[in-house]
Amino acid sequence: MEAPIVVIRDLSKIYRQGEVQVTALNRVSLQISAGEFVVLMGPSGSGKSTLLHIIAGIDRASSGEVRVQGINVANLDESQLADWRNQNVGFVFQSFNLIPVLTAHENVELPLLLTALGRRERRQQVDLALNLVGLGDRGHHRPDQMSGGQQQRVAIARALVTDPALIVADEPTGNLDARSAHDVLGILQSLSRDAGKTVLMVTHDPKAAVFGTRELHLEKGELARDLVQE
Amino acid sequence: MSEARPESQSAVPSEGRSVGGWFLYALGFYNPISWIGWLARVWVRQFGLGPFSFVILNAVRNQRRATLTVLSVASSCALLVTLLTLQRELTVPPESEGASLRIIARNKVSLAQPLPAKQLSIVERIPGVVAVSPFTFFGGNYKGEEMTSFAQFAVDPARFRGLLVEGRISDGSYDDFIRDRNSCFVGADTMKRYHLKIGDRMKFTGTFYPVDLDLRIAAVFQGTVDDRGVFFHHKLLDELTGDPGTVGTWYLRVASAEVSNDVIARVNKAFENSSAEVRAETERAFQMGFISMLGNVKVLTLSISAVVVFTLMLVTVSTMSMAIRERFRELAILKALGYRRRELFSFILAESFGLAALGAVVGIGGAWAVWTFVDLQRLTNGFLVYFEVTVRTMAWGAAVAATLGILAAIGPSVAVARMSVVEGLRTLD
Repeated sequence: MEAPIVVIRDLSKIYRQGEVQVTALNRVSLQISAGEFVVLMGPSGSGKSTLLHIIAGIDRASSGEVRVQGINVANLDESQLADWRNQNVGFVFQSFNLIPVLTAHENVELPLLLTALGRRERRQQVDLALNLVGLGDRGHHRPDQMSGGQQQRVAIARALVTDPALIVADEPTGNLDARSAHDVLGILQSLSRDAGKTVLMVTHDPKAAVFGTRELHLEKGELARDLVQE
Repeated sequence: MSEARPESQSAVPSEGRSVGGWFLYALGFYNPISWIGWLARVWVRQFGLGPFSFVILNAVRNQRRATLTVLSVASSCALLVTLLTLQRELTVPPESEGASLRIIARNKVSLAQPLPAKQLSIVERIPGVVAVSPFTFFGGNYKGEEMTSFAQFAVDPARFRGLLVEGRISDGSYDDFIRDRNSCFVGADTMKRYHLKIGDRMKFTGTFYPVDLDLRIAAVFQGTVDDRGVFFHHKLLDELTGDPGTVGTWYLRVASAEVSNDVIARVNKAFENSSAEVRAETERAFQMGFISMLGNVKVLTLSISAVVVFTLMLVTVSTMSMAIRERFRELAILKALGYRRRELFSFILAESFGLAALGAVVGIGGAWAVWTFVDLQRLTNGFLVYFEVTVRTMAWGAAVAATLGILAAIGPSVAVARMSVVEGLRTLD
């Protein structure tokens, strides 16, 4: 077993809307090892996306501790957190979320503009990432010139172009047909298995879950089951 | 490597395109905004993506909105520059070399009150006075015009010659003007406008005075700051009005600008406690006082300018807000990817500023070109003469556009800064 890359202790998240309090996560504790492909499952409102967002540093916990690669994310200010996300986390969303005026190559290059890499190095990194997802020849296409599956693969390339330790995917196959979904899940699985990336994926789809190495089931903000795949 | 043209430009027009379709096609093809987007794309292809090209691609992504924004800012800037120029035209009389040497003395009670003609002998003996002439505004209408755009003054031709510092006699003879009591001395612009020549007659219907004039053109002057006026013999006016022994004002020329204040003080003092006290002032000060009789033109034009600027601000802020609100999710993604608030603010600011600057260039440049090359004097029957769009006026227009470009970015930037990534992602889900 690899050393834990994510360590969560007594994590709670409470949303306050006026007088009403909604507990999205209730004292969740868990560890995720480097290279794991963890699938977060559960009914709507169970807190799985909230857990994913807090681990990825785009949301704050109400209490508890989240350590990613030994860093307590809660202690970072907005600016530090932005830098940390750029270097350590790759995002894949359900709606692809590519910038429509940019080509696939430019979309993948976006996170690299924040680094000190020169133009040539950036180009190499982007080409490598696009080749990894099988889109080496589509770099000059804009999102509206590609299928949904191809757009999601571009989003994966964008997520891994900075070589982050953690890739988070929030229902990445939700808008895809079965064939494209299979391709995307295969890529995520390969990143975990072959490249040693830690992948954290939220999904409702049991078929998608089989690609992971571990299933975490959340119910009403609590960790209900923790299953390691055969 | 060739670059794909924008869709509106690369699309092959179909045979079935309607007239409206052709219009929109032409608008897209000739729209500079689409060319800017195309150039940015070529730039990215050649030199790679950078913050600058990213901002330009975003700014022109919605060509219709970008075009309308630029045109709104441009038309507002053009209107603002036009109003400021109009204000300057109406409230700032042109400076001339001789103006600093000339003094006008009027009745202290009001400009409408005449002065005794007998004051002349006292005024001309005041040290520092080189020349002095009576100078009475006639205010007649030429050829039945309802509003004649040039003034007529009764002067003493022989004495008036000494007051002409700048300008020259371009036609006819000044001596002829002196000799003939029924003649006049006319500005070249008026001669040109009414296609007049030496020897022609000019007839004026009196408005202030209950008399009419029938004058023969004896000489023409040119090269002063205002080549429109008509001057005639004061003796003729005296004769027609029954010789009341009065003049409108005294027009003086002093030996040098240094003695000007001293002469003003002496003239004022000379008639102190008399039945016709005078108020002497420089020609420029007199003109400013005369302008103030037009009403508060400055307040009026500034009020309209303020409305223009406010409207401009609403348009720009509204457009930028719409543009940013449409992209909340994309900005949330950028935040997730590691872009900080200051970088997002820079993108928004650059976009807003860029559109405002482009609008300013089009609007101010357009106003300058129009008012420089259009003969406004002819179009306005001589009401507007110079209508010069100065560098200062253009700088004001540019400063207002730049300030509004910056102000328009603040609201959307604050909204983006407050937005969490999660909220942004949910915005359009």
